[in-house]
Amino acid sequence: MVLLETKNLGKSFGALTAVQDVSLAIEAGSLHSIIGPNGAGKTTLFNLLTGTFAPTSGRILLDQRDITGTPAHRIAHLGLARSFQRTNVFPAFSLLENVWVAAFATGRSWRGLLFRNADRYPEAKERALRALADVGLEGKSRHLAREISHGEQRQLELAIALAAQPRVLLLDEPAAGLSPEESRRMVALVRSLKGRYTIVLIEHKMDIIMSVSDRISVMHFGRLIAEGPPAEIQRNPEVRRAYLGGVAA
Amino acid sequence: MRALALILVSICVLPLIVRPVIATEIWIFAIFGLGLNLLLGYTGLLSFGQSTFFGSAAYVAGWLLKHYGINVFFALGIGVGMGALSALVVGYLCVQRSGLYFIMLTFALNQLFYFVAYQWTSVTGGEDGMQGVPRPEFLGLDFGDPRVYYVFVSILFLACLWLMQRIVESPLGQILQAIRENELRAEAVGYHAPRFKLLAFVIGGAFSGAAGVLYAMLFGIVPLEAIGFVFSGNVVFATLIGGSGSLYGPLIGSFLFIWLSESMSVVWARWPLLLGVAFVIVVLFFRGGVVEAWTRLVKWYYSRQKTSASPSAR
Repeated sequence: MVLLETKNLGKSFGALTAVQDVSLAIEAGSLHSIIGPNGAGKTTLFNLLTGTFAPTSGRILLDQRDITGTPAHRIAHLGLARSFQRTNVFPAFSLLENVWVAAFATGRSWRGLLFRNADRYPEAKERALRALADVGLEGKSRHLAREISHGEQRQLELAIALAAQPRVLLLDEPAAGLSPEESRRMVALVRSLKGRYTIVLIEHKMDIIMSVSDRISVMHFGRLIAEGPPAEIQRNPEVRRAYLGGVAA
Repeated sequence: MRALALILVSICVLPLIVRPVIATEIWIFAIFGLGLNLLLGYTGLLSFGQSTFFGSAAYVAGWLLKHYGINVFFALGIGVGMGALSALVVGYLCVQRSGLYFIMLTFALNQLFYFVAYQWTSVTGGEDGMQGVPRPEFLGLDFGDPRVYYVFVSILFLACLWLMQRIVESPLGQILQAIRENELRAEAVGYHAPRFKLLAFVIGGAFSGAAGVLYAMLFGIVPLEAIGFVFSGNVVFATLIGGSGSLYGPLIGSFLFIWLSESMSVVWARWPLLLGVAFVIVVLFFRGGVVEAWTRLVKWYYSRQKTSASPSAR
């Protein structure tokens, strides 16, 4: 079953076309990766999916429902959660507060919003703690986000997205700026989430992509140039050309 | 608990140190500061137009007190409502923009209200202010007695403090701080930032409105300055010096500001210079105001005790 779908999606900023005619179909429960050289339009595609920008053309469907143009703050409530390429957390908050805010947003009820003590939402708290445990940060829940290491901040980034219990998880380069050792841990983490969530993953590091993906879409200059299972993508001459600048093709 | 005890003690002691009118003004100004602090400290919005809500509430309730003889509690209700309503209108326009534009919008709309009050002399009294606002007796309580009024204001202040504490510890308080910390992420996790900012505005406006009415009844007049930008600046000033972002900051700021301005203005005409120096010190060294200075002092003291104790432990 296709859970998230785009149809001829396009976005231009003035004369610059960042995303053009992208039609994607993400199967429920799969891990679908999007790769491509710098500036290929991957992050812009995410920004379209999560309502940061409205597309200039095309449509986005979630569960056959048209969600094109839904503003960013509604998207989380529809079941799409994203992590950011550049760490984007709440620096002065404790780790628990970071994830709690996300858990509460998509919680069952906002009753008592103005008066009930924030500690007295057991459901949100439990979800927040579970999200921290999922990324292995449960031991640091009282630490402040600005005081933990970059690697841990990347994990927290992911935990904030998980706390929303999304149907689709959009991960924008979760291993950005990580050391090889931290990268390996992040890969293990993403792999552990596989099957529990439908995941769309943007990544640069080919070893990560090839080992975890069910399907791969390749973007180049804003367009999709190939799609298929990892083995097939690895052999594809057009992909090699895009990545290696036509030298080794 | 200790903070509450300290506040109760200062409520009792304050009228013995300064004139009851000044003591009353301090708590009124603290209510005003509490409202601003929700915007400035918790949401990270520098509103430079809080006197819009303070002043409009004072004028409307003052008018009704003067001409319709409404009772004190009704006047207070009207003030809260008027403060919230004007904050809804002003806030709606302001939250559409952020940063410098936001600040300038709060300021510009403040000026707009100011000039309406300035021109509409038949109602507001223009430059002379709206004079003769009464403090009518109600339920056998003679509010005209400064001591009765002081107790009344103190109780209201405690109620406001309790209410604000509930608000900042609620999910709303957490969400507002999340918006202050990282608005983009707050939107991404599912909060419509402008809506929440507007809510903060309305709550802050209601507090300002309450303060405005109490102020008008305290002095028996709504001076034109009560809706002017200097007044807006004063509350920002007091809150920053006391410590924005902590619940008790505005109280300390209000005390310092009112007390200094009352005691120094008779001695030295250039007293605002002192405030200027205090402001510079706060901005450069203690971004969290007196509250931060105090916590740092306590921490320093304990760490010194520890280091002097550890060699003997060996």
